[in-house]
This record gives sequence, structure tokens and C-alpha cells, in this order.
Amino acid sequence: MDPDFRGDSDHHDGTSDATPGGYTEKRRPGELGFALILTATSLYLLYSAYGISGFTALSGPGAVPMATTLVMVVTAGIVALRTGRLPRVPTETLSRDILPPMVILFIGLLIVFGLLLKPLGFVPTAALFLTLAIKVLARRGWGYTLAVALGSLIVIWIVFRVVFTVLLPAGILPEAEFIQFFRGLFSGGAS
Amino acid sequence: METLLAVLTIFAQPELLLLVGAGTFAGIYIGAIPGLSVTMAVSILISFTFSWDVYPAISLMVGIFMGGVYGGSRTAILLNIPGAPSAIATAMDGYPMAQRGEAGQAIGVTTVMSFFGGLLGILVLALAAPFVAGFALTFQPRDYMLLAVLGILLVGSLSTGSLVKGIFAGALGIAIGAVGRDPLTFTERFTFDLQLMEGGISFIAVMIGMFGVSEALLQLQNVGLKAVRQKIDRIVPSFGTIRKYLPLSLQTSSIGVVIGALPGTGGDIAALMAYDHAKRVTKNPERPFGKGAMEGLVAPETANNAAVGGAFIPMMTLGIPGDAVTAIMIGALFIHGLNPGPMLMIEQPDMFWFIVGALLTANVFMLIFGLTGIRIFTKIVEMPRSVIIPLILLLSIVGAYAVNNRISDVYWMLGFGVFGYFMRHYGYPLGPVILGVILSRLLDDNWRRAIISEREDLGRFFEGIVTSPLSLVLFLAVILIFVSQTPLWRALKNRLFRKATS
Repeated sequence: MDPDFRGDSDHHDGTSDATPGGYTEKRRPGELGFALILTATSLYLLYSAYGISGFTALSGPGAVPMATTLVMVVTAGIVALRTGRLPRVPTETLSRDILPPMVILFIGLLIVFGLLLKPLGFVPTAALFLTLAIKVLARRGWGYTLAVALGSLIVIWIVFRVVFTVLLPAGILPEAEFIQFFRGLFSGGAS
Repeated sequence: METLLAVLTIFAQPELLLLVGAGTFAGIYIGAIPGLSVTMAVSILISFTFSWDVYPAISLMVGIFMGGVYGGSRTAILLNIPGAPSAIATAMDGYPMAQRGEAGQAIGVTTVMSFFGGLLGILVLALAAPFVAGFALTFQPRDYMLLAVLGILLVGSLSTGSLVKGIFAGALGIAIGAVGRDPLTFTERFTFDLQLMEGGISFIAVMIGMFGVSEALLQLQNVGLKAVRQKIDRIVPSFGTIRKYLPLSLQTSSIGVVIGALPGTGGDIAALMAYDHAKRVTKNPERPFGKGAMEGLVAPETANNAAVGGAFIPMMTLGIPGDAVTAIMIGALFIHGLNPGPMLMIEQPDMFWFIVGALLTANVFMLIFGLTGIRIFTKIVEMPRSVIIPLILLLSIVGAYAVNNRISDVYWMLGFGVFGYFMRHYGYPLGPVILGVILSRLLDDNWRRAIISEREDLGRFFEGIVTSPLSLVLFLAVILIFVSQTPLWRALKNRLFRKATS
């Protein structure tokens, strides 16, 4: 087994944190593009860091940003060069293994979540999100979907809004009354 | 006497005891459910416990940390999926045992040994930290700067294969941490004249994005993966079994503490090194390593739990986190207005002793919960991912929003989530990014302090490094890591790791 290999043989997905996927000897679809984007971004950031205080003083506010962005440029460049030399993974495609439609759909859902959070309020937005997400992922009937989505939402809401006292946008629901009710039930708690 | 009282604070308030217990319980399951990780849980929880007092918040997080390090071993044994990086070595012999139908025994031994390891780690923490803190007072700003660089580099180089990618990730983290107005001169840095950027990027948004959202997005690709049901019966190990492995566990715990205490190295490295050690010292294992040797289970599990105590040493005394989870713990302390470092140990020793007490309690809870409730456990682990993933995403959004009540933080989180998703795919480690963000300020401040005190003279700065033994050691360590990129070193490393993994 490759000592640096931490993914499973099928997915190279870096199942747990701090153990990234990827191959050591091959290049995944889009990997070179990613490395090039990083290099370009690093170059721009270096330019931006230079603009902070230039070379006026070693203790200037721009010194550390310049040093770090320089390191970024160099390392990203090395990575891009190395990646460019590797052969491509023959069995993977960008649209199936790296950015499948499901992932794009979820990124979209999350953006919409952010847009609706303020105007609609947390509870309705979350209910919509959970219902849609579970429906799409579990591919079960509406009964199951709604029961699981709303059931878990209620638990989450009680735990975080009442026990953790997290402030969430109230939106269109009369939340304050509910909370007073639950506070009565859980008086004490951790708050 | 006062110290003892501070350690026992936790027992004086049943509420705190309850929170440590709940945290440990949750941690075990979070560590065990594939797709949930301790880093993820702690980073999301920081924002939820934001409005709490310090003690309850710390109690909960310490519990989750301790439970999670242990919980990762469960899935390593049952499914061959390490629930946390620190359980990678556990899977090597744990899973073969489960395949033989000895999952119960494997879990039992793991639990007791994790307890021993954890206990030893905490004892060392309690004994060593006050001395280290005293020593740390003599540190110069340049030493702090070098330590920060060293920590980021170590996380980048040891946790994964490509050091170059690790260094990039660390530098990126420092740059992210520098966004906003410079605290000393009030100059704008990386703000691109956007008002939104002036306050900087909330590191909690970065954390939750990188460890919560990116992980959940990745898991979308294995929604269908089912947990394998295991029959588990006898779980509490016999006294004889424990006594037999006690000498080995003492050795591997010591390895765990030492490795954990080095800034930048955490439980995962400790576990692999302990595994390697066990292989060398065990002359006649009942079964060969890799095929279900009990020693191969005892070693990494004692070491990774011992590393928890060890990792708190640099975190509490120097403010330098050992790995991603301790980096997040530092973030939690920051949020509650505490500044980990030698001054914290001197000004608020109670805080330190309280954490020691919480760790001890969490360790005991881990033993209790680990040996009971196995039936509920199998049920929870079988929870379908089609429900877990949307819930993680929901919690991530709530978490990012809750700290500042700003929608923009939600978008930062999403952005870093998607970015982290690609980083994971292409083999860039995420740990150094978080470490970089957390240490950015410390590194920047100390560099400037150091160079100002040398009147902007680089020559004098290096002269200072060479003439101080401590600075010299740190500086050489940083250089050594760069040298480790040369082919010579890689050959050596391959040899070492092949021994551990074959």
C-alpha cells in the first residue's frame, strides 16, 4: 500500500478530515486546472500584498502577507508543474467523479437557503431545504420525507433555539411565543 | 489545595458534569458515524456555545473531543473506515478481528486501553504544563514566530503525502487570517476596497465550511453506502487480558503523549508511530500484525488518546495548537475572551485546572459509555446518510450565521466549503489552512515585534536566532522540514511507513 494513500480504492474521497483524497502518481480530472487557478490567484494576491505597504519596512503591515503570498505562488507553481507532468486518471471524468450534478444541486440549494434565510425566516427555509434534500437523496415517498424532515427540524429547533439560545432570523413565524412555551418546559437548561 | 478545588469544580456543578457526559456521549457517536467528524462537530458547536459561559462551553467541547478520538475506532473496527485520522492504524488490526466475529472483544479492549492512554496523557498534561508555561515566559517573539511556522509546517508535512500542498495550505490560511484591517497600523489588507472585507473573514465560517460543508458535499457521492451489521456480544474484557497488555500500553501511551505534545503533531501520527513500535517490540504475537493482532489494536488506541492530553500542553502553554481539532479548541477559547498562552496559565490557573478536570471526567465517561449501550450504538451508526447529510448542511448554515448574525458569513462558509471540497478531491490537506488562520495573528504580531526590537535589521535578527539555543533549535527544525522535501528524505520516510502499513 502506498504510504501516502489515504482514500479508499474506489473513491479517493478523503473520508475523514485531514486525510485528503487524490492520487500520488496520477492527475484527476480538473486537478491541473485547479492548480493553475491557485497559482494565478496567488500571483494576484501577491500583487495585492505588495500594494499594502510595499518594501518600506520589514515590520510593515504588508511584510507577512507578502511573504505568505510569495510562498503560495511558489508552492502552487510547483504543484502545477508536478501535476502537469502526471498522467491522467483514465477512469474518471469531471462530471461524474469530481463535480457530479448532485453536488452542484446541493451547492445551489445552499445558496438559495442563504438568500431566503432573512426574508422567510429560519424555520420555513430549513423545512423547505430539508424536505427537498431528503427527498432527492433518499428517493422515498413524501410521507417518509416529510416525517423525517419536519421531525428532525423540530428537534434541531428545540435544541439550538431553546437550549443553545442561538439567535435565528424569525421571519414570518411568531417564534417568541413558542420559545416562551419551551423555556417553561426546559427551565434551567444551560442558558 | 486551590488547584485541587479547581480540578474538582466540575463535580461541584452537576450541570457541568452533565455537559461533559453529554459531550462525551455525543463525541463517541459523532466519531463513529461515518461522515461525521470531531473537527466538524467542534467547529459547528463553537458557534452554538458562543453565548454560553466559558465553563459549560469548554465542558461540552472537551467531552466531544475526548469521545470523538475514541469513537473513530469504532468504525475502524466495524467497517474498516477510520472515523477520524487518528484511527487509521486501528483499522489495520481491528477490522480483521471484526471479520473473525471478535468485534465485541476488539471494542472492549480498545475502550479500556483508550481509557488508560487518556489517563496517562492527562496526568502528564497536569504535571508538565505548569513547567512548560514557566519556561515559555522566557520565549522571545521570534521564538513564537518560529513555533507558529513550525506547527503549520508539521501539520502540512506529517498528516499527508505532499508537503508542498501542505505548505500552500498553511500559507493560504495565514493570508486568510490577515484579511481585514491590520490591528497595529489600521492599514487595509486584502480587502479589495470592499467594506464587507474590512472586518476580516470569520474564522468560524472558514472552519465550518472546510470541515462541515466540504465533507458533507463529498459524502453526497456515497449516499448509498450501507453500514455492515455486526453481531456484538461479549464486550467487557477480562482482567487477565488487560494485565497482559498493560506494559505495552504504558510504552505506547508515552509515545502518544510526547508526539501529541509536539506542536503540529497529533493523534494520527502518534497512533501510527505507536503501531510501528508495537510491531518492533512484540516478538511473538498470537496472530501476525495486520491479521487481527491484539497488540496492533492496543498500541494506536492508547497512543491517540494519550495524545489528547499531550496536545493540550502546547495549546494551553504556548497557544500553539497541535492539530486541526486543537486549533479549533483555541478558536473556542478566543471566542470566550481567553488567550491561550503562558499568561493564561499564570493569570487564570483555575481555567487550566478546570480543563484538566473536564478531561479526566470525559475520560471516565468514555469508559462507561464505551462499555455499555452497544445495542443503541449499532442502530445509530446505521442512520442513513440521506438524512445525515442535509442535517449537517443545515447545522453548518445555522452555525455560520449564529456567531455574528450575518448572512455574509454564510456565504463565506459556502465559498470555503466548495473550495475545501475541491481541495479534498485533489489531495490538499485542510488542517494547515485552519492552523494558518488561527496562528496568522500570532505569527504576524511576533514577527513585527521581533524585527522592531532588532531595529529592522535582518542581520541582527538572525544573529539573535543563532545565539539563543531555543531559537536555534526551532529554526533548524523549520529548515529540516524543508530539507525533507528532497528525495533522500522521502526514501527514508517510505521505509518507515512501509513498516507501519505492510
